[in-house]
Amino acid sequence: MSYLDNKEPPKREDRLKACITFGGTLCGLANKTRGCCLHDGERGFTQGSICLLLPGLAMINSLPDNVVLLHGAIGCGSCAHSQNANVRSGGNVRWGRVKDALWLSTALSESDVISGGETKLEKAIIEADKRYRPATITVVAGCVPGIIGDDIDGVVDRIQHRVAARIIPVHCEGFKTKIWATAYDAVYHGIGRKLLEEPEHSKPLFPDELEELKENYRRSRTVNLLNVSSMGRADELELSRLLGALGLETNIFPVFAKPEEMYRVTQAALSISTCPTHDDYFLKFLEEKFGIPYILKHMPIGIENTNLWIRDVAAFFGMEKQAEKLIQEEVKELRAALAEFLPAFKGKKVFVGAGEFRALATAGLLHELGFELVGIRSYHHDEFANSEYEKLINSTGKDFPINIANVQPFEEANLLKQLKPDVFLGHWNGNGTAAKLGIATHVIYNTGLSYIGYRGVYELARRLYRQLSNPVFNRKLSKYVRLPYNAQWYEADPYKYIKAAGGEGHE
Amino acid sequence: MSDFIERPRYSCALGGAMSTINALPDTIPILHAAPGCAGNIAWTQNGGCGLQVGGYCGGLSVPSSNVQEREVVFGGSERLREQIKNTLEVMDGKLYGVITGCVTEVIGDDVKSVVSEFKEKGINIFTAETGGFKGNSYYGYDLVMQALAREYVRPGVEKIKGKVNVLGIVPFMDVFWRGNLEGIRSLLEKLGLRVNTFFTYRDSLEGIRQCADAELNIVVSDVYGVEAAGVFAEVHGTPFITVPLPIGPAASDEFLRQTARALSLDLNRVEKIIEDENKKYFSYLEPLTECYNDLDLQRYAVVIGDVNYATAVTKFLSDDLGWLPELVVITDQLRDDQKNKLLKASANLESGLKPKVVFETDTSEIIRHLNGLYPKTATNKYVKNFSPGFVVGSSLDRELAQSIGAPHLTVSFPVANRAVIDRGYTGYRGGLRLIEDLLSAIVAGR
Repeated sequence: MSYLDNKEPPKREDRLKACITFGGTLCGLANKTRGCCLHDGERGFTQGSICLLLPGLAMINSLPDNVVLLHGAIGCGSCAHSQNANVRSGGNVRWGRVKDALWLSTALSESDVISGGETKLEKAIIEADKRYRPATITVVAGCVPGIIGDDIDGVVDRIQHRVAARIIPVHCEGFKTKIWATAYDAVYHGIGRKLLEEPEHSKPLFPDELEELKENYRRSRTVNLLNVSSMGRADELELSRLLGALGLETNIFPVFAKPEEMYRVTQAALSISTCPTHDDYFLKFLEEKFGIPYILKHMPIGIENTNLWIRDVAAFFGMEKQAEKLIQEEVKELRAALAEFLPAFKGKKVFVGAGEFRALATAGLLHELGFELVGIRSYHHDEFANSEYEKLINSTGKDFPINIANVQPFEEANLLKQLKPDVFLGHWNGNGTAAKLGIATHVIYNTGLSYIGYRGVYELARRLYRQLSNPVFNRKLSKYVRLPYNAQWYEADPYKYIKAAGGEGHE
Repeated sequence: MSDFIERPRYSCALGGAMSTINALPDTIPILHAAPGCAGNIAWTQNGGCGLQVGGYCGGLSVPSSNVQEREVVFGGSERLREQIKNTLEVMDGKLYGVITGCVTEVIGDDVKSVVSEFKEKGINIFTAETGGFKGNSYYGYDLVMQALAREYVRPGVEKIKGKVNVLGIVPFMDVFWRGNLEGIRSLLEKLGLRVNTFFTYRDSLEGIRQCADAELNIVVSDVYGVEAAGVFAEVHGTPFITVPLPIGPAASDEFLRQTARALSLDLNRVEKIIEDENKKYFSYLEPLTECYNDLDLQRYAVVIGDVNYATAVTKFLSDDLGWLPELVVITDQLRDDQKNKLLKASANLESGLKPKVVFETDTSEIIRHLNGLYPKTATNKYVKNFSPGFVVGSSLDRELAQSIGAPHLTVSFPVANRAVIDRGYTGYRGGLRLIEDLLSAIVAGR
């Protein structure tokens, strides 16, 4: 039985034994010799974080001709005020059209909490369909319906026949999982269950054999390129360029994909992930249900990772020779272009924090540029990344601290004081701690910027060179602004508040 | 009223509470909430507050109990106790504010009794029940101010003549909060008053603790902070007045007069101050006179915003700048008594203009209200349309402005397309700032 037969996807703690709590080192995590990454890792002190609703909305808000109907309290979804910038610029670079994300909130009140919110949701769906006439309405559940027991799937089934839009339930109850990456499963789950049927009107009435042959040929050369919401148009173009060099067409999916065309993801020769953390749930489903094989291994960030990513795809199509030629030429050109920056990077210490795959792949890139890695913080850990830890051990030949934490800047502040990096790379709203300590920083997710492929290596190097050329803003800030931690905290073990069931929680 | 709110221009009560505590000096918020609440609020500020996020302890640095299904099933009080205890070890605060989210309120954790354990040990800590379903950010601000008044502000202190507190400006939701508070402080200081505004660099926790010694609370809003002022009156016997956000000279004159009357100050002296300030204001405008007239810069206007901005900007445009506000859209969810109060306030313009005031929470419906004022005509030769027009609102109103071909200035939350540090629109100087920004939007392509 497929997970997609259920109303909700399982949480990643259960499905992948993913965890968010570890303090140790690269080798320690790779070997898992200590009591690391317990399934139910806990901290006795925690700071705020995001929940799966945020990455979930980042994906859904991007869909054109879709209305997001957030079923929850009034604040859930206000993160859209930030995500809207990406929706606007993303629409502009793809279609030359600036448009705001359209989202609604059922704004559950105290009385709804007592009497239930299903009737309100039902009316809201009908009104939204009438007023905005969207292709799809994604009904996103926040915490409150999850606790009071609203059956959003039941409501959707009950009223689908009364509205023109296709309604897609997406479960994002924040208290149900610690692993944000469950968001991707939640969104894919909704898409997989509701949006993959090819509409009858798109099929030809009378089969034309020649057209069918052409179509089959096209399909045999079309790959699904799975994007993530943090991947901007620049990155999509870079990967399309590289795949195009191998004669492949790309179907980019699902961020900014048109709901009415999503069925096309079932008609490709191969699905290629750009981030295994992001895509495994859906790619396995596509293979199981539609027989589309997939590649889910490397994230094309950094020179070596991009090479490996291309080689995997090429091997599938029997184009190993072409791939080697492409790689050779690309890398030669890239290395020549990088040469002017490298002296500035040599031996500079760097700390990187991001989603697990992104953090590790970017760490590999930074090592390639000549930086010295002094620490990595990944937001969670699961088995997909084990090979990445091995890669880093092999390439760097050294051990350094690894923190698995869904941000937790207090651990980061403590580590940064000890490790004293020259530059810090972190998530949106995740660079403030390092900045206030006077460290040069760079954002690791910004959808306007280029990070992926060979182009990403060059652009990241160029930006780091610029930032290291004048880190005066952060340096001066640090003289007059302090972090909100007690002096004793910096003397303490950074992993003091990690609780381990039945063993050492940290090394 | 529809069964949803389109793109709400606020977060929830917890969001407002967290932003408010972020703005208090040396204060650490402790969220007893699901893990994503802090991040959602940080992202909201990131996108809506003119690039301002958090502060000393904001964004993702705020301590949060991050409750999960286990707490939902077994209760979260034990987790909260542990979280507070460890927060005191790690975080460097002089005051701690425990605020609750939807999940912990629905499951009914007894937060008050956990917090009182710490209070009994002499910890400066207060709590407010700010579950998201209780209301929006503005209400969250009010709840925190009420909690401060009840739990932190020292009771039984003697009133000091000439001391006042300012309420009604909600940090971050009023994106210009810092500049606006400074502007109000400087107005009040002209009257020789000592002022506590809670959130600026010149305020301190000791001042806030002592603030029941004020002889008057001034609420610069018809809605925000009014309940908190009520708690101050009940607990500390501090009377209060409500006055509109004073943007520009007309409102500032009135603000000074009302305050002076409430404090029984020498009104002749106040009139002298007002006269001086107006002289200064218009001396600044003098070099603008020719271009303002030559470029025909008078405009019709749609004003869209929260309670404070919608009314205050309308008054400024009408009674200071001589523009023609035609439609005023107030975007908050309000009770009928609050709506009536606002309708009454905005009916009273010195210009005699009677703009249409609507209460509308759905951004894409605003065009419908405007179209209602300017019905389509059969020919388009002689048309009294909304031109030359201007839209003052939030960044959500860009599409409206674009669709009617009008320039646009963002002043009310969300402010996504401006960077705001200490700019403020209150007082006489604030009016000048607003004129600069409005006219800049018109002449930007010149």
